[in-house]
Amino acid sequence: MYDFIKDPTLYNLVRGPLVWIAFIIFIGGSIYRVKSFIDLVKKDKTIMPFISLKYTLRSLFHWLIPFNSVNWRRRPVITTVTFLFHLGLVFTPIFLLSHNILWRESWGITWWTLPEGLADIMTLVVIFCCVFFFLRRILAPEVKFVTFDSDYLILFISFAPFMTGFLAYHQLLLPHKTMVILHILFGEIMLIAIPFTRLAHMFYFFLTRSFMGSQFALWHTRDW
Amino acid sequence: MAVKNAAKEAVKEKIISKDFKEYVRDVNPDKGLDETIARLTPEKIEKTIKAVIGGRSARIKAVLETCIHCGLCSEACQWYLSNDKDPTYAPVAKMRMTIWEMLKRDGKVDAEFIKQCARIVFTECNICHRCSLYCPYGLDITFIIGMVRRICFLLGVIPQRQFDQAQAHIATQNQVWMSQNDWLDAVQWIEEESGADFKDLRIPIDKEGAEVMFLPLGAEPKTGTYHLERTAKIMLVAGVNWTVPGKDTWDSSSMSMFVRDLVTMQRIVRGLYENAARLRIKKMMLTE
Repeated sequence: MYDFIKDPTLYNLVRGPLVWIAFIIFIGGSIYRVKSFIDLVKKDKTIMPFISLKYTLRSLFHWLIPFNSVNWRRRPVITTVTFLFHLGLVFTPIFLLSHNILWRESWGITWWTLPEGLADIMTLVVIFCCVFFFLRRILAPEVKFVTFDSDYLILFISFAPFMTGFLAYHQLLLPHKTMVILHILFGEIMLIAIPFTRLAHMFYFFLTRSFMGSQFALWHTRDW
Repeated sequence: MAVKNAAKEAVKEKIISKDFKEYVRDVNPDKGLDETIARLTPEKIEKTIKAVIGGRSARIKAVLETCIHCGLCSEACQWYLSNDKDPTYAPVAKMRMTIWEMLKRDGKVDAEFIKQCARIVFTECNICHRCSLYCPYGLDITFIIGMVRRICFLLGVIPQRQFDQAQAHIATQNQVWMSQNDWLDAVQWIEEESGADFKDLRIPIDKEGAEVMFLPLGAEPKTGTYHLERTAKIMLVAGVNWTVPGKDTWDSSSMSMFVRDLVTMQRIVRGLYENAARLRIKKMMLTE
């Protein structure tokens, strides 16, 4: 933040104030969305009475582990791709060495980091998974029929930070500094977009699984 | 002969939806859909849509804002599987062609669109919940289909047979238009007929304090009386202390549920429980 006031360059802008804005909107927006959603659930008097922690956890146990539910087993390719994609998407940015260095520069804190080679592979996996999802949207008729512009947009939002990050790390295509600025900018766009687009399935997943897990338990049926 | 050929050709004739070019179906005349849409006006449609889904309850919001359009629900659907994997039969496609479009156009849809919605939600979905079983998020797709059914019901655009049964429930609390007189008469007649086979066979009506209250399906006293007869014989041999209600609401089916007629659905369940409370029975036994 202070660097930007001292030296207002584009890099210092995306590295300073925009990071603050992005994280505040991401965290604040997420809390707001989940809170307002749960309030809405409480208003519908027919949901809360049967929501149960036990069946929520049982449902999550079956759907958060690959090949642990019928549909995951029926679609092995999609299951593999989607799990690799989400693992890379969530854990690479958190445990990347360069990101950790930024945290240390700013606040002097660090945590575990991934080996650089592994992080590089995980980034590539995310990129290829994005390409897979894109091709699936175009080629699979049942997906194509329900694809909107917003689907391509949220796919791009998740794709762009990883692509630019990969190019910046290997210093390809654009000058390094420009690529880093683009990378940070796309990362911030993604953080801001999460609460306000269907990327919100990041937390809605747990709520909807809780609902359906409890609902099916009430009907004495498995939901996996 | 000419008539026969014409009939054959009529069956082969296809309609292509003007909203979705992928949605191609056989022409399938149905009074309940073809004639009722003449009554609709744009204002009426918009008002009804807004009344049902305008408020966006948590259940609707959960589906709208979580569904990532992945298509993984499609293979759960028997309609999709038995129609050569036609994408327009996938559960998510049914939402896309009905409720998403209604919300996108803010309720400003025409009568033809409502007819198409009615065809999709009434004749191409069984509300079996299998898609929720296949959805990675466990989204309640069938609830959404039910809400579209409710919109069609309130607008009066329902396949004729289903509309008739729903109206029977509204008027008589059973799906076969039987009055209380008809019901009592049928029960006593079945009891009398079966007496030839079993000496002490009884179908006790309104017996207070019985252990089991038997609730048949509408068709049992009306067209399939042998069902009720067999139930009576089984009860006799098993030595169960049982009864059937003598007042209205003895039909354990709810055709109102299929059109999401919430008021009548409530009346049916309330009526069944009131009968149970009045007779102080211990268990309710539903047919089928």
